[in-house]
Parts: sequence; C-alpha cells; structure tokens
Amino acid sequence: MESAQHMLRTGRRGTLFEFSMALRDLAMSWDRRGLAWSLAWHDVVSRYRGSILGPFWITISMGLMVLGIGLLYARLFGISVAEFMPYVAMGIVFFGLMSGTINEGCETFVQARNMLSQTALPMFAFVWRTVLRNLINLAHHAVIIVAVIVVFGLWREMVILPALAGLVLTVLNLSWISMLAAIASARFRDIPQFVMSVMQFAIFMTPVFWKPDAFPDRHAFLTLNPFYHMLTTIRAPLLGEQADGLSYIVLAIAAVLGWALTFSVFAVTRRRIVHYL
Amino acid sequence: MKPPEVSITVTDLSLRFPVYGVDAKSLKKNLARVTVGGRLGSSNTGATEVTALSNISFNLRPGDRLGLVGHNGSGKTTLLRALSGAYEPDEGQIEVRGRIAALLDLSLGIDPSATGVDNIRLRGRIAGMSAKEIEGKMDEIAAFSGLGPFLAMPMKTYSAGMQARLAFAVATAVEADVLLMDEWISVGDAEFKKLAHRRLLNLVERAGILVLASHDTQLLRLYCNKVMRMEGGIASEVKDIRRIDELLAAA
Repeated sequence: MESAQHMLRTGRRGTLFEFSMALRDLAMSWDRRGLAWSLAWHDVVSRYRGSILGPFWITISMGLMVLGIGLLYARLFGISVAEFMPYVAMGIVFFGLMSGTINEGCETFVQARNMLSQTALPMFAFVWRTVLRNLINLAHHAVIIVAVIVVFGLWREMVILPALAGLVLTVLNLSWISMLAAIASARFRDIPQFVMSVMQFAIFMTPVFWKPDAFPDRHAFLTLNPFYHMLTTIRAPLLGEQADGLSYIVLAIAAVLGWALTFSVFAVTRRRIVHYL
Repeated sequence: MKPPEVSITVTDLSLRFPVYGVDAKSLKKNLARVTVGGRLGSSNTGATEVTALSNISFNLRPGDRLGLVGHNGSGKTTLLRALSGAYEPDEGQIEVRGRIAALLDLSLGIDPSATGVDNIRLRGRIAGMSAKEIEGKMDEIAAFSGLGPFLAMPMKTYSAGMQARLAFAVATAVEADVLLMDEWISVGDAEFKKLAHRRLLNLVERAGILVLASHDTQLLRLYCNKVMRMEGGIASEVKDIRRIDELLAAA
C-alpha cells in the first residue's frame, strides 16, 4: 500500500487485517528510517539551541551526581571509592537511558499530533524517534563511562560483548515499554504522571546507588525488577564481573512477550490513536 | 518512466470521530466504571461518536481538479485528511494512486527556533523527500523564498510574512501527482502573491489531480473543472464546475 505511489485505506476489520496493517506501518517506518533519525536529531539540536555545551549540560549534572554520590556513599557504606564510583557512574547513566526512554515515550504520539492528523506517516517512526533521541543522549553521557573506565583502569578486565548484548536487550525492552506508554498516554492523560511516579520509585528500588550484596543471589526483590536485569547485564560486564545468565534470559523473554503485547495493542488501537489526540 | 495512472477512488466512505470527553480521558473514571459494573458511555468504547463523513463515493482521473464547497463543519477538511491517509475509514474504502502532497497546514513541522535552512530540511523530510532530494532542491527553495541571508537566521526572527514565504516555498517544493489543498494559499505581499500564484498553478499542472476545499466560488471557477458540495458529511455528486451555482442553489 504505502509505496509513495499507492495508498489504500479501508474500513475493513478483522484481527488478521488489523495485524497486517500494523505490520505495514512497521515496515514503512523502516523504509523511512531517515525520517525518525532526522526528527530525533532535530529534537536534540533544538532542545539545546543557543547553549554552548548543549546536551553535555546533562552530562555535567550527571557527572556531578556521580562524583557526589560516589564519594559520599562509598564512605557511608564503607566501600572503596575505586570500587563504588564506576558502579554508581554506570548505574546513573544507564538508568538515565531507561527512565528517559520510558518517560518521554508518554509524549511520543501526543507531541506528534499535528503530523499524525494530516499525513500518512508511519506511527512507528515516532516511537523510533523517541528511542533514537535517548540513544543520542546516551552517546553524550558515555563520556562519563569512558572517564571512569580510564581513571579506574577498568579496561583491563572489562568485557565488551556481554555488555553490548545487555544494551541491545535493554533497548529492545525499553522500546516496547515506551510505545505502550505512548499509546496509553494518548488515550488516558493520567498515564504520564503515573509513569513518572513509577520511574521515580524504580530508581530507588533498583540497585543504581546501592549494591545488592545484602540480598542473597536471585532474591525475588531483585529478580522481579525488570530494571535490575537491564542494568546488571550492561554494568556487570563493564565492571569485569559476570552478569547472571538468568538476567539475559529474562530480558530476552520479556522482549518477546512485551513486543507481542505491545504490537497487539497497537494493531487493535491503531486506527483510533489519531482520534485520541 | 511514467508511474501507473494517477487516480482517486472513494467508495462508500464513512468516517466517525469518537469524542473522548474530558471525563473519559481520566483513567479513574474508566476504572470506576469497571468496578461499578455499568456503562456510562453512550457507545461501547465509552465515547460519543460524531459522524463526520457518511457514504461518500467518487472517482477522479488525471486532469480532474475537484473543488469542494460547503459550510464550516461540513466535512471538507476531514475528507482531505482522509485522502491524505491520516484517518482510517470506518466503512468503505479510499484508494489513491500517485504521490500525495497535502498542503493543509503551512506550519506543519516548522520549528520557530530553528534556522530557515534547518526548517527546509525538516519539512522536506516530513513531506517524504530524502536528504539528497532536499539538498538538490535547496537552492531552488531558497531562491524562491527570496529570503537570502535570512535563511541562516532562526525563523522566530522573521516577520509573519517572511515565515509564510518560507513555509510556502518548502511546502510547494514537493513533486506530487495528487495535490490536496485546504483553501488556496495566499501569502505575502502583492509581488510575492503573484509569484506564489504562478508556482501553485505550475504545481497543479504537474500534479495529475487537485482537490481543493474553498469558500471562494470565484477561485473554484478559476482553478477547478469539477465541483462537489458537502453538507453535514454527505457529499453531492461530482458536477461540472459550470453547474456550481445550481449546486449551491440546491441548498
């Protein structure tokens, strides 16, 4: 349908048809991936227009938090700074990716209202826009990660590949959560507030600032927290530790189930979303 | 390498807008409804529905320039948006062959704090041009806008007329077979109006089909060769433009 040459819109219903249309939307967003990228890049550029440091302001504020919490908590918990600082640094930076992608997901469709109501642009493109924007931000904050790796000599024992696998699994999961939040927020305007509260709660419940040593391995408090799995699969390998294989499995299963759920919700609500806005 | 025949085919198109009231948008209300067990809403989705278009059918072939007339709220804009692919029909079918360009809102995708050049890129991207195509057209767009060195300045420093010039220049830079317009765009000073007019005519000529919604019968007579009257979401037959008075008198 959506080759630029031919557009077909029908009032046909039926589960199979709705799913095939949703799949088309996804395929179209891939054909026009340049659009998602341009929008994401434009978002970053325009948010910090006129500022000299731009997104690095967030990096600096994160860096300051890392420094403060790293020094203070290391003292409070009686852990060496060399051990604790990189731990907190990675925790804060990667949790920033998670909360950013999910919180901003609530705005994905609401913000694109104008474009969605007068063009045939694929809706998935706007989901990718949010995800890509947060990845661009992460690329800025990676400065902090590189700094702790160099300063504390982590490059000697860190392993990149499992960390990358963790990052990919994390982003796969974040994107479906972000999209689900986008659809829900378009329909119910309470959702953004709700999501924000959950994410605020999650930052304290997840071992971002603290070490889970007090818990026995695979304690339910940790294993039931999806953010724990996301964080640990990225962070542990970078710290030269081995992440529990279970976390990778949990993330992989969550990605499959989560996308199945989100895609189904999208297929069912797709034709309505533009009217929600 | 002419693409297959340009055409618009609309069959039995009906479009209903669910209106989600302020109340319906609160999750609490929805949860409350579930726990109480009754349905407060008037339809099964809990929303009131407004029928915006009902049972519309028409066919357009290359060379057709259809004017849409009708009162405010008669469904002209909704029909244009449906033709652009933004709205899904509730019943019936819309089939459009050819590249669609919808000039419904000049300010679509315009970021006032970005420079003129950045806005050209962004808007071009939204209209479906690739980065390469945009760069290829950049000079032409810049020249037409007549803004010269101002293109390097943020758009918020422009006067309203200058902003309209740029938006117009980008919006009309698209290559399209099907052109959808809500009101004939007239912007800028007298001199620019003449330029704009010529550019639009050019665009219309290149495009196979034009659908134009307007209240100005003079204008419609000038640019369209067919006319359709909308009233309360119901469309008349497509008639020859010479019978526009007859169509309006029938009201």
